[in-house]
Amino acid sequence: MRPSTMFTAGLLLALQAGHGMATEHVVNQKGKSFIQKQLTVKVGDSVKFVNDDPFAHNVFSLSDTKSFDLGSYGQGLGKSILLDKAGTVEVECAVHPDMRMVIEVQK
Amino acid sequence: MKWKIWPAILLCMSMQLQVAAQPGDTANRSMGALLPRDGLAAAVFRGGLVFANYCVTCHGMNADGTGRAARLYNPPPANLRASDKNDAYILMMIRMGGQAMGRSEFMPPWGAELTEEQMNDLTVYLRSINPSPRK
Repeated sequence: MRPSTMFTAGLLLALQAGHGMATEHVVNQKGKSFIQKQLTVKVGDSVKFVNDDPFAHNVFSLSDTKSFDLGSYGQGLGKSILLDKAGTVEVECAVHPDMRMVIEVQK
Repeated sequence: MKWKIWPAILLCMSMQLQVAAQPGDTANRSMGALLPRDGLAAAVFRGGLVFANYCVTCHGMNADGTGRAARLYNPPPANLRASDKNDAYILMMIRMGGQAMGRSEFMPPWGAELTEEQMNDLTVYLRSINPSPRK
C-alpha cells in the first residue's frame, strides 16, 4: 500500500473514532416540563429536544456557555444543539416560563 | 417564591395604584370590586399580567424590545411602544406567531397557549402603552 493511501486511511479511521465519541442525548418535553431537570454531557455531545406535547415548545438558552434559540416546533418534532464548550447551560422554554433545566457540559 | 413572579407582582401593584388614582367609578368600588371585569382598565390590567409572564423575556418589561433574550436576535424583538400596527394585526401576530405573518420566526405562536381572553387583553394592554396608537 502506498504511503499516501495509508495516511488517508489512517485519517479516516481517526475521524471516524472521533465522531464515534460524540453522543446525542435526547431530552423530551411532556406536560409543559423537561423530563430531565439535570443532564451531564461531554464537550462535543449534542442534545436533541423532542416535543411530546400536543402544542408547540420554543427551547432557548441565554447562558454564556451556549446561547441559542431553537424556535417553535410542534408535537413529535425535535431540534438539536451542539454543546461545544464546557460549562453550565440553563435551558428554558419561551412559551412556558416555568419550564427549566440545566445541562452541565464537562471536558 | 420564584423570581419570575416578582415583575408580575410589581406590575400589578403599579397598575392598581394607577387605577385607584383615576376619578369616578365609585359605585364599583363601593360594591367591593377592584375593577369591573368588562371594563377597559380590567383588560389592561389582565393584559399586563400576560405580558409580564410571557413576553418580557424578549420584549422587555418596558415592551421596547430590550428583554434579556434580545441579544439572541438580529433584527431585535419589536419595540411594541412604537409599533404602527393596528389591533387586528397585533392580535394575529400574537395568535399565529412571526413566521406565519412573514416576520421573525422566533416570535412564537401563542394561539395554543393563551386563551382568547388573554390574547385580547394582551392586545388591549399593548394598545394602552403605545403612545401613537392606530385603531
